[in-house]
Amino acid sequence: MDKLFVIAVGGTGMRCLEAFTHLSAIGMFDSREIEILTLDTDQANGNKGRVEKLIQLYNRIKAGGTPNANTFFSSKLNLYRFYTNYSGQGRENYKNITRLNSGTPEQQRANKLISDLFLDNESVQEFDLSHGYRAQTHLGSMLMYHGMIEAARNIVRGTDIKVQERELDEFVTKLELAGQDARVFIFGSIFGGTGASSIPIIPKALQDFIKIRSKGASSIDFSKAKFGSTLLTEYFTFKKPNDKQKASKENSIIADASYFPLNSQAALQFYQSDPTVQLCYKMLYHIGWPVESKPVDNATDTNQTITGGATQENAAHITELLAACAAYDFFTRTSGLDVDKTEYVYKAVDFSNGAFSFSIHDFVGNANKAGERFANKIGALFSLAHISLTVNNAANGDAGIKGFITRCQEQKITQYNTITDAECDEINDYFKAFAYTFENTRFTPGWLYQVRSTVAPGTFIFDSKAFPDNLSELKKLDVGTIFLDEKNHWPKGGILANRYDSFIKKLINLGPEEDQQVNTTKEKFLAHIYNAITHSQGFHLI
Amino acid sequence: MESITAYTVSVIITLICLFIAAVIANLIKFEGGSKPRDPRIRKVYFWVFCLINPILIFLLGFFVFMPDGNRRVIGNYMMALSIGTVLGFFLYILLGFILSRIFTNGKLGHWF
Repeated sequence: MDKLFVIAVGGTGMRCLEAFTHLSAIGMFDSREIEILTLDTDQANGNKGRVEKLIQLYNRIKAGGTPNANTFFSSKLNLYRFYTNYSGQGRENYKNITRLNSGTPEQQRANKLISDLFLDNESVQEFDLSHGYRAQTHLGSMLMYHGMIEAARNIVRGTDIKVQERELDEFVTKLELAGQDARVFIFGSIFGGTGASSIPIIPKALQDFIKIRSKGASSIDFSKAKFGSTLLTEYFTFKKPNDKQKASKENSIIADASYFPLNSQAALQFYQSDPTVQLCYKMLYHIGWPVESKPVDNATDTNQTITGGATQENAAHITELLAACAAYDFFTRTSGLDVDKTEYVYKAVDFSNGAFSFSIHDFVGNANKAGERFANKIGALFSLAHISLTVNNAANGDAGIKGFITRCQEQKITQYNTITDAECDEINDYFKAFAYTFENTRFTPGWLYQVRSTVAPGTFIFDSKAFPDNLSELKKLDVGTIFLDEKNHWPKGGILANRYDSFIKKLINLGPEEDQQVNTTKEKFLAHIYNAITHSQGFHLI
Repeated sequence: MESITAYTVSVIITLICLFIAAVIANLIKFEGGSKPRDPRIRKVYFWVFCLINPILIFLLGFFVFMPDGNRRVIGNYMMALSIGTVLGFFLYILLGFILSRIFTNGKLGHWF
């Protein structure tokens, strides 16, 4: 079985990784241990912070556990973080980091000439790099490659090794050990800055990293290595930067969303013709949003373009879920990875009456009932999130998942009594990130609500009634009827009963099973609930 | 003979009360939330029927099943009815406890 590696680059890459983490939580990567590297120039980026917190929360829920099968949180995620350091003195912009003003006068003149040939002297060479490469991919590719090679050299030198360099080293060590059995999937956009700069150079940078660190004794053989990525074209837009904002040198270059379609076209032409890309990548998944992009900064107060930092925390979009599903396809496919040249993968979704209509088969295909399995798993976690947040009211600070343990106690099922309140709070927090929460009585949509809102009024796996956003509607929600298709509703349970009642009866009569490979009390508890919900949903998976 | 009637009435009414309590327990839905009230409601209904049971045995035994006969027959019947009432009370609890243990993970498990 191949070892799985994920690399997320830039803001969009981070949001794709967020979707990937939620796919892991619903149990799409059964029995797998996945190594994840976040790669960015912007250490404080809001999307990066959000996904790293989410993975850390995932790992706290999984604490002490192992990979399992057919349950929630079934895979084990190991997170490594690397960022190129542009915050220290002399590292703020291209001119400083490349030391254009050092060396002999002749060297300085030569360096300046070659820099001016490719990079605008006044703007590109002097903007603040700490917020990413701002759609300057020609500069970004060079600097990201440089950042990773610099880390390798520091590790070989053995002095002043930064934490992020050590984490990159650990990730690459695992990649090197996996050898031909490694499958590496890279998340990032091709229309923006950091991701677009990095996707073409990452395989080569990793190869050179290994070569430098092993002093030439080891490498990556691209004819055998399995790299895959997304060709994620523009799907969102934001405010155009005004002249006032661009007046300062550090902000002289700001990504302009109106150029994203052009950037995407240029990038696609590059990927199609570049021999290095064609050699390194076995699969490229072409994902886009062929209708008008929605603005991501409508809710922000500022008139300025957000260039990066903690405030860059865009809402989730369905294309990111599709990118995560592409990773699922890449990790689970049993053929098509022994090609000499990149294969392109794409599919279309029904678009009518001005909206997309996503069915359960549009995410992970329909071979071997994969669509049903996906719907069964994501429906189970969404139902559980609603039980925790809505029925047990964790969204408003009540017990949430602890209510299940109380219910088990009431039914004399006492094996879960050792799960602490703090552990229950962690699971509740995950559901808040996944579905929704209330912050000071204000409704805050979580990942799945955000994804669904990008498709509305089109269809998306679940009934639109499964997404209420106010207290009175939430109170009326029947958690057993979230699917569009009535055959997947929980059983009514006979006269004077209700769906929740019949679900609890299933919970009482079922338990964790041996083939789920669950070990810790928390894993057994989650597997037990998973079984009760998936049995209630009645998908025919065989 | 009259004693057998009194004891039979006691047992039948006890079983009927227990059956009704079990039906009610199953009709009460499982609730969500951090402090579900359904286990407590089932318990309350069980003990309410536990109190109704001897009253019902005695009243039905006295007004409906009282045999015709001399004072000795009536006296024997009343003695049997009194014992049957007390026995019915304890039988209800005993059978309720056994059912509660048999269906310990279900709704009847809330009785004890």
